[in-house]
Amino acid sequence: MIRHFLENGLDARVRIALAVILAVAILVPAANLLVPEGSPFHVPTYLVTLFGKYATYAVLALALDLVWGYCGILSLGHGAFFALGGYAMGMYLMRQIGTRGVYGHPILPDFMVFLNWKELPWYWYGFDHFAFAMLMVVLVPGLVAFVFGWFAFRSRVTGVYLSIITQALTYALLLAFFRNDMGFGGNNGLTDFKDIVGFNVQARGTRAALFFLSCLLVAGGLLLSAAIVNSKLGKVLVAIRDAESRTRFIGYRVATYKAFVFTVSAMLAGLAGALYVPQVGIINPSEFSPANSIEAVIWVAVGGRGTLVGAVVGAVTVNWGKTWFTGVLPSFWLFALGGLFVLVTLFLPKGIVGTWSEWRAKRKTATPADASPAPAE
Amino acid sequence: MTEALAANSLLYLDDVKVSFDGFKALKGLSLTIEPGEMRAIIGPNGAGKTTMMDCITGKTRPDEGEVSFEGGTIDLTKLDEATIAELGIGRKFQKPTVFESHTVEDNLYLALKSDRGPLATLFHRLSGAEAARIDELLATIKLTGRRGDLAKNLSHGQKQWLEIGMLLAQEPKLLLVDEPVAGMTDAETMETAALLREINASGKSVVVVEHDMAFVRELGVKVTVLHEGGVLSEGSIDHVANDPRVIEVYLGR
Amino acid sequence: MNATVHRLARSALLILALLAAPPFLGSAAHAQDISGALAKLTADSYADTGEAIAALATSGHPRAAVIVESIRDGQLEFDEPSKTVAIRTAAGVLDAATGAALATPPAGLSPVRVNNRVRSALAAAMGALTLMSPDPAKRREAAEAVFKSRDQGALATLEAAIPKEADAGVRSAFSAARAAIVLYKTDATEDARVAAGEVLRARGDQDAVATLRGLPADTPKRVKDAAEIAAKSIETSLALWASVQNAVYGVSLGSVLLLAAIGLAITFGVMGIINMAHGEMVMLGAYTTFVVQEVIRAHAPGLFDWSLAIAIPLAFLVSGAVGVVLERGIIRFLYGRPLETLLATWGVSLILQQSVRSIFGANNREVGAPSWMSGSFEVGALTMTWGRLWIVVFALAVFVGLILILKKTPAGLQMRAVTQNRSMASAMGIRTPFVDALTFGLGCGIAGIAGVALSQIDNVSPNLGQSYIIDSFMVVVFGGVGNLWGTLVGALTLGVVNKFLEPFAGAVLGKILVLVLIILFIQKRPRGLFALKGRAVES
Repeated sequence: MIRHFLENGLDARVRIALAVILAVAILVPAANLLVPEGSPFHVPTYLVTLFGKYATYAVLALALDLVWGYCGILSLGHGAFFALGGYAMGMYLMRQIGTRGVYGHPILPDFMVFLNWKELPWYWYGFDHFAFAMLMVVLVPGLVAFVFGWFAFRSRVTGVYLSIITQALTYALLLAFFRNDMGFGGNNGLTDFKDIVGFNVQARGTRAALFFLSCLLVAGGLLLSAAIVNSKLGKVLVAIRDAESRTRFIGYRVATYKAFVFTVSAMLAGLAGALYVPQVGIINPSEFSPANSIEAVIWVAVGGRGTLVGAVVGAVTVNWGKTWFTGVLPSFWLFALGGLFVLVTLFLPKGIVGTWSEWRAKRKTATPADASPAPAE
Repeated sequence: MTEALAANSLLYLDDVKVSFDGFKALKGLSLTIEPGEMRAIIGPNGAGKTTMMDCITGKTRPDEGEVSFEGGTIDLTKLDEATIAELGIGRKFQKPTVFESHTVEDNLYLALKSDRGPLATLFHRLSGAEAARIDELLATIKLTGRRGDLAKNLSHGQKQWLEIGMLLAQEPKLLLVDEPVAGMTDAETMETAALLREINASGKSVVVVEHDMAFVRELGVKVTVLHEGGVLSEGSIDHVANDPRVIEVYLGR
Repeated sequence: MNATVHRLARSALLILALLAAPPFLGSAAHAQDISGALAKLTADSYADTGEAIAALATSGHPRAAVIVESIRDGQLEFDEPSKTVAIRTAAGVLDAATGAALATPPAGLSPVRVNNRVRSALAAAMGALTLMSPDPAKRREAAEAVFKSRDQGALATLEAAIPKEADAGVRSAFSAARAAIVLYKTDATEDARVAAGEVLRARGDQDAVATLRGLPADTPKRVKDAAEIAAKSIETSLALWASVQNAVYGVSLGSVLLLAAIGLAITFGVMGIINMAHGEMVMLGAYTTFVVQEVIRAHAPGLFDWSLAIAIPLAFLVSGAVGVVLERGIIRFLYGRPLETLLATWGVSLILQQSVRSIFGANNREVGAPSWMSGSFEVGALTMTWGRLWIVVFALAVFVGLILILKKTPAGLQMRAVTQNRSMASAMGIRTPFVDALTFGLGCGIAGIAGVALSQIDNVSPNLGQSYIIDSFMVVVFGGVGNLWGTLVGALTLGVVNKFLEPFAGAVLGKILVLVLIILFIQKRPRGLFALKGRAVES
């Protein structure tokens, strides 16, 4: 059953994308670790980490495309799930520091010692175990998304209203995580990590491994998402996106479907956040800022929503552009990003991949039907 | 008396009242549909036809009154749209509503009677029986040749038919059909009337809301005239057409 | 503990005394002559020093406070043969009378000696020096300090000053200070002490409660009971005032929310356009105010009090024009696609922010308050700034103005016609694209006006708009889309709820709670507080 389900996802476009991602996953670490530094084929470690960061963004974009592109739920708060996953990972990494912190406390992280806390809050229990932390990476965002989605979708909050309250959700979390007494390091967040499952997070090998895992997550996320959207459930999601009442009147419980896909998507975002944190070395409340979540939306829009592969392409392209701009013309980045929002919505509503496949379909005029559903409101 | 009426009915509405911000859309509407019956409902704009459908399908909760199904055993006012649909009430909207970015075939596939839970659909595989049923439905609604096309590329009339096909795919006991021939050519209208009669002949109850008098006449069934949220007249098409109250408010002659 | 309070109060008195540099009360020329007093200081006798201090205290001389303070700090030195009185500071030796540095200080300088009698004379002098300051604010502060220290030495000065005091506020501060001293005065009669308790009850603040409750255990029961009753009654009225204060501050916050949201109530509420650059329209209004003030400062400083009045129409035009360009250039291509509109306008907001950052820099800009908006006033136990009050008035004025525009003008009629039934309006000959641009421009222009007001209470920075956008949407959604009255009620409700939650939950948690409450509320009533129930079958 599961095998059939996953095979469902392997359409031509996904196959190509998977091949490319896996090739990158192997070639980049190899070019970093095996090729000597002087060689033109050597990839410096900072680039490995940078690409690893892009990969986690690509997963966030995938998660967003799943709900927005296929179910019409424009979440302006997906960064919250990414950050929650990141915090869960950050808590594990904090517990691994042990006595190597500035205050050398065997159990309490530095910021708790600094705030004169006497013991670990209950919700930090268990985070010294990797498996438990990984469970939380998925469960916490999933639970938040499920509870939020259950309420929102059951009362039929849709469209722009839903977008606004998802934004309010991440804003509320932003304010909450800024508070010192929340026990997540307040303003400064969690940082100064040392080890992950026994390996030094700064080491080249660890960074290459994290990059490899991030690519693997992109591939796995892509496969899972493709399998979902190609299943009958995926067709129901598109049906909900295009004609919500119709779907309801032929007997589907729209709220349940939306809550399901929203939760799956949040879990995927949480995993992405968990791989993001050890690579950038810090997680702080600014990850919850509403601007971050909206920026993720533009990745999907640029790549082409409702195409999955487009989300990956968009995330990598936009972030590459961001890296380039902030290096060369830092003050122009916001102009470029703002312009991107305007231009893509006006002139490239289907995004890069959507427009490309439309163009290809037009060339093969014999079969006008395209497998990819066209995005619609 | 009313108990007996309810017991023999498929759909039973008694003294249903609905108001929106003071506007009374339904003022004590009563209606009984027998099992296997086809009924035409006419009435001017604002008569409460669509609100009535909303009450039956769980979209609107009546302020007062009874709406029940299957001999009064099931209280529809307590259920949501999806549950009512699964009980066997199919509804076609006034404006044809199909899944535009799905193929004709997938539209029917989604509507086929089957487990509606998310896990069931996630791992669902199209069975041979389902494929056969889809073929059959495509033939009924005369869209076999366009099975692979996206629904958005269909003509208006074809969309109406596809929506009726989706209703049939649900295997409902009762079909609520809102203005099925709006925007159709005369030939299409007659074909639609024939299709609905065929559906009715197969044992399903049908409630048709329509403006087109020629079409209603073609159906040849009992007609209920709604006016200002209540029943104005009921009987054969000739009976209601000669009812002076109907002539005054609706036919305007 | 008590000693610390005393010390603090004394230092406060001293600082106040030092601040009281201008000539004192009744500063006739002969009264300023302190040479006699200074001469007495060179006598090296405690009695003479005491007299000299008393003379200084009443002299009204600008240096009197400094000299008295330096005696207390052991910095005042004298040389009998040369009749020199000087203050030894880290910077050098200064002439006591003039404050000028002495080029050649006499070799025989020795400190003025101080005993307990001199010390009490010093304390009384310090109190008197400030209690007699010509500045009512300083007299009042001195009275507050005495109130806290309950320095028995000030009693005589106070009793002398009370009947002469012209300022009612200062007089009641004097009376309260006197009452505090008498209440604690063990040798006063019980009647006098009970009466003092009553005076403190009239003062009616938290400090009065602390004073009333702080009586030592050996106080006669009658005095203590009366004090307790007075304290209880103060607490009851304080609780009442706290509620009033929450309500008033809530209305103040609500009016800020109303200002920020009211333009959005037009663009989002009435037109259904989701404009994420709304906050930036507010920001542009605030920067317009800044520019207007800069120009006035440079060219016509006399007009400064009019700067806001000048900025209001300009801000309306600037933001309104940007709004019209935005509508014609981008939004009209996206009608019927709300999510795309959201993204495109977000992009516009980024561009506007960065433009302002490029032109004006990333730092906060200083926007001044005209004189009629600065300062504060008191109503009972409540302090309100004029700025806040004017913003409440202004917000309501904008609201009423907008209602009038929409309901009473031909343009407003056209706007309502177009938003209610576009095709019908078009058929009636209304140029719907023109009306769209006009309506959107109106909403944005009003946001600009809001920016003028908000520049008075918030930092004028490129991020100004960002801090209002979520709140504004919450207000409009909460109040009910398409209903201006809903926006008014929504803004005021959220403001008041926020302020009532703050004391229990703290500012940040209070805000989070409000957000959560709104999210829950939208679940219950997805169309807001005042939404009309619709019948539309398909949306």
